[in-house]
Amino acid sequence: MSDFLIGLISNIGMISFVALSAYLLLISGSISFGQQAYFGIGAYAAGVATALWDWPLAVGLGFGGLLGGLGGGLVGWLTRRLHGIYFAIATLAFAEFIRVALELWRYQRMVDGELVGPDGPNGFNGIRRAFEDGWDPQAFMILICTLLAATLLALMLLERNRAGVAVRGTGADPLLARLLGVDVARLRVCVATAAGTIAGLGGGLYAHLNTYIEPRLFDVMLGVHALAYGLIGGLGTALGPLIGVLVDIGILESSRLFHGWRMVVFGGLVALLLIWRPRGLLDETTVHRLQALVFSARRRA
Amino acid sequence: MVVDFLQTLINGLSAGAAYALLGVGFTLMFGVMRRLNLSYGATLMFGGYLGALLAAKAGHLLPSGALALLAAVVTVAGAIVAGLYVERLCFAPLRGRSGVAAMVSSFAVWMQIEQLAGLLLPLHTNPYPAPFDLAPMNIAGLTLRPEHLLTIVVAALAALLLHRLLTRSRFGLALRTLSDSEAAAQAVGIDARRVTLVAFLLASALGGVGAWLVLASNQQVTPMFGMWSTAKGLVAMMLGGLGSIPGAVVGGLLLGLVEAFGQALFGPQVRELIAYGMLFLVLVVRPGGLYGRAGFDLDLAARERL
Repeated sequence: MSDFLIGLISNIGMISFVALSAYLLLISGSISFGQQAYFGIGAYAAGVATALWDWPLAVGLGFGGLLGGLGGGLVGWLTRRLHGIYFAIATLAFAEFIRVALELWRYQRMVDGELVGPDGPNGFNGIRRAFEDGWDPQAFMILICTLLAATLLALMLLERNRAGVAVRGTGADPLLARLLGVDVARLRVCVATAAGTIAGLGGGLYAHLNTYIEPRLFDVMLGVHALAYGLIGGLGTALGPLIGVLVDIGILESSRLFHGWRMVVFGGLVALLLIWRPRGLLDETTVHRLQALVFSARRRA
Repeated sequence: MVVDFLQTLINGLSAGAAYALLGVGFTLMFGVMRRLNLSYGATLMFGGYLGALLAAKAGHLLPSGALALLAAVVTVAGAIVAGLYVERLCFAPLRGRSGVAAMVSSFAVWMQIEQLAGLLLPLHTNPYPAPFDLAPMNIAGLTLRPEHLLTIVVAALAALLLHRLLTRSRFGLALRTLSDSEAAAQAVGIDARRVTLVAFLLASALGGVGAWLVLASNQQVTPMFGMWSTAKGLVAMMLGGLGSIPGAVVGGLLLGLVEAFGQALFGPQVRELIAYGMLFLVLVVRPGGLYGRAGFDLDLAARERL
């Protein structure tokens, strides 16, 4: 595989974690502009754990996911009664708070004769644990894809059981869900925790692949892109956000066709697509139709 | 000590006056659509870029006073045209349908506008014409920048004009009716689409004035201005209580003061941290806003879902 392709697939994989995180909240009826915060928290936490505290890679990545989940859960708990625009702006405010706080955070230490650690706006370099442990880019790409596949599988299994029905039900109508016996506030805290964990895990991978991170990477642009991916691909299935990422990064960013005009083309396409299909290409109705088709074909066989 | 306090107060009020205009613009659009226009800041940045482009191309041909005035006109006009584009593409076709889709679509247009601005002028710091060539005045130890006074006066005038428009005209009545209840507006025969469009352009014009005031006192425009003005406008709108125009004015002034005093006490880096921290806390503790509606009902707000 060429280096370019490996880099591209790794990138698509990592961004998919934030997209899935935003998607999980979207299907539960919450619009978050702040999932980039947990991606950033995960990236910094995993980086500090492996580069400064010398933890093994797996433990560091787990620590990133854990802190992302704790952050998501905390914000989810604080905002459990906020809906719609209030929730959206509260998450945006929290995420920007975290980004500015990271610009103020300095925690450096000498490692092998080099100053390593978060250095405010200058970023955090020297997160080299993965490559020191002998992961080459291709192996790391496979690691990203495996973890992403596991996350996807977990989300798809979730949607097949009662909890998934409760999540989608709350998204469709929180009042009705409450009448049907769903503890909406608790469910929203759980969803926010899970979404934070997914984003934090992606952040840890991001930090270790790039070996350098800075607060600016985790600004609102990333968060709203994550939302947009779900809405382009469709909210009917967890594959939707992946389609969105593929369209943006896979086709537009990697091809030189629209050089200089990429954002104009992509922005226009998204705006037009959303007029035509406000809940994305694979929206709930389409997914149900496809499932019915497969089901009836199987029955005939 | 007293002088320092007064100085910080003036700095805060002049910054807050511009924030208030941005907050009022957001509130006007929210009132008639129940949607967030995320690309608001970007449309204002586009206007600012047109102003800077004018200065770059024709700056040497015009006297500085005329240039400053023309830049103001171009900035406001650019913001209105960009606002028209956003309303037609993102909000009009999705009216009464998915709110998330409209918001994300307005964000997509933000990226378009930013790249278009980059085709006009480089996407970094560009000089923006200053309104006058006056040195700051010194009165009893206070430094008064003429731009700050201009900001306070122009913002107050704009607020007064808006108040008259909303309370003394048929259009204002229609706009307030539509903001209160879309069903009531429909029942009395108000053309919601037309009122929305005009309110949108009005918000763009107000924002354009606010953008001009900020850019003229900074004497530069960068692409960051889009995000910056979106953030400030949102905070101003939410602090005062979503949907209330006087609330947005109070929220903007409050944000300016808190930022100015935060900066005076803890240094410039903490400034932004305080603004975002305050917004988050207000939303968690008092979602109706500091100034907010007395009987704010979260369940009712929940039913106003996007």
